[in-house]
Amino acid sequence: MQKAQEVKKIDHKTLSHSFHLWFWGALTCFSQEHMQTFGYMASMLPIIKKLYPDHDDQVKAIKAYTAFFNTNPMLGTVIVGVTASMEEARANGQDIDGETINDMRAGLMGPIAGIGDSLIDGTLIPILLGISLGMSSGGSPVGAIFYIIAWVLIAYFGQRFLYFRGYQFGDKAVSFLVGKQGAAIRHAIGVIGSMVVGGVLASWVNVTTSLKLVGSNGKVFLNLQDKLDSIFPGILTVAVTLFCWWLMSKKHVSAIWTMLILVVVSLVGVLLGFFNPGLTY
Amino acid sequence: MTISWLQAAILGLFACLCSNSCMAGQAVGNYTIGRPLVGGLVCGLVLGDLKLGIACGVAMQLVYIALVTPGGTVSADVRAISYIGIPLAMVAIASKGMNPLGTSAADLAKSVGTLVGTVGTVLYYAVATLNLVWQSFGWKDVHQGKLDRLYGVNFGWPWLSHALFSFIPTMLLTYYGSTAVTALRDALPMDGIAMKTLFTVGGMLPCVGIAILLRQIVSKPIDFVPFFVGFTLAASLHLNLVSVTVVSLLFAVIFYEIEMAIGSTHGPSDGSQTATASAGADDDEEEDI
Repeated sequence: MQKAQEVKKIDHKTLSHSFHLWFWGALTCFSQEHMQTFGYMASMLPIIKKLYPDHDDQVKAIKAYTAFFNTNPMLGTVIVGVTASMEEARANGQDIDGETINDMRAGLMGPIAGIGDSLIDGTLIPILLGISLGMSSGGSPVGAIFYIIAWVLIAYFGQRFLYFRGYQFGDKAVSFLVGKQGAAIRHAIGVIGSMVVGGVLASWVNVTTSLKLVGSNGKVFLNLQDKLDSIFPGILTVAVTLFCWWLMSKKHVSAIWTMLILVVVSLVGVLLGFFNPGLTY
Repeated sequence: MTISWLQAAILGLFACLCSNSCMAGQAVGNYTIGRPLVGGLVCGLVLGDLKLGIACGVAMQLVYIALVTPGGTVSADVRAISYIGIPLAMVAIASKGMNPLGTSAADLAKSVGTLVGTVGTVLYYAVATLNLVWQSFGWKDVHQGKLDRLYGVNFGWPWLSHALFSFIPTMLLTYYGSTAVTALRDALPMDGIAMKTLFTVGGMLPCVGIAILLRQIVSKPIDFVPFFVGFTLAASLHLNLVSVTVVSLLFAVIFYEIEMAIGSTHGPSDGSQTATASAGADDDEEEDI
């Protein structure tokens, strides 16, 4: 197929339009069957219209994006940027077809989902929320406002950066995330995440026992909580957390069932006098 | 405290914006408006008790600090937690006359909110299922070449799914639920077994949220070490979270350097371009030992 003489180039406005469609619409028409497929098609539409003036070519081009797509929507922005550059190359007659584009998308969406879920959902957001919770203790709205501003700025400009980086560098943009250096960065960030999560647990959760053994003379001779605190402060909190972790990751109990098991544990504990939240009107 | 129809409708609108498939986009919808901390702010403003709203939001946020939805499977629904659970918890706390900033108020909020949030997953699947209808319109449009209609499929039609499964349920549940919650006050005495259990569970629920996150982070037992160090820094040394984060940066740098160093001495694990360099390094190492 003979291609036009002039090189086709997507202008900045079109790229920006495509980015915004993804930012606002990656998951608006979500279903379990197609997940982000329609969000992806919508965000590729301005680019396809720009590159292919002929309507039939547009229809042909969009077919490549009807394949199933699902990844972490934040980090996945880079994939949309990469496809924009691939689509441009295809429109300029380079040896790229819909299958090449789809192979790239299918190959990246798994790793990007894994990295994105652990980096963003598992590390960045808990850190931001942990800090914000501290600022909002005592009923102050400052923490909530801080979270809104900090997260939206990070999400918007971070995703914008990823999109344009993807467009500029093609699939090279992703190589630092999946290569050796990427693994080291992920490990390092994982350490930050784990320590912060440990800190969140200690700062905000406090499981205590009310068990006291009283001697015949009316004096308390065993205050279990004091004893436990002298061994390791917060030991019961850690124990309950590890118990939940063990149920879910070793026994493959779902989160909902784990919560129900906690209900039973609490009920038994209350009946035995081990737990008593000390309620009064 | 009661909830009027107008207040219930505003909460319903926020529910449409935040829940998957969120009409305000993933970053702004799900990750901002949907977070219980932000939901607490919104509910506090809408219901006219900012302090109580934030307190409930903080309590609920702890349970869902690590709301990861791998592969689109959910164990809780943000619209139900933040815009049904929090308003009902606020009504419950207000009707019990509890100090909004106390531990027992927070524990009650966690129990009420988590219950509602878990049941709310039904709404998530309902929206996702109804979206299949709009998607079938979309496939037809693609085949007929009416490409511009795809915008409507992605940004327009899903509003109908949300009107049915976000707006209406949130409005009805908050409006009628507040009456039910107030009635519950007399049915369950505070010093009874049921209430004691409810509050004890509320205190423990964040452990599940943290455990979900741990399941992601921990692949071998040694991965627990940073977690315990972070816990000890806060529990025993009473460092706040920013300080814990700063200390963790040091460990992150060390781990990064070690991993990069191991990578450069232990053979060509990825790519042939490093093969020659690492072969030389291996020789050096053997001589040293």
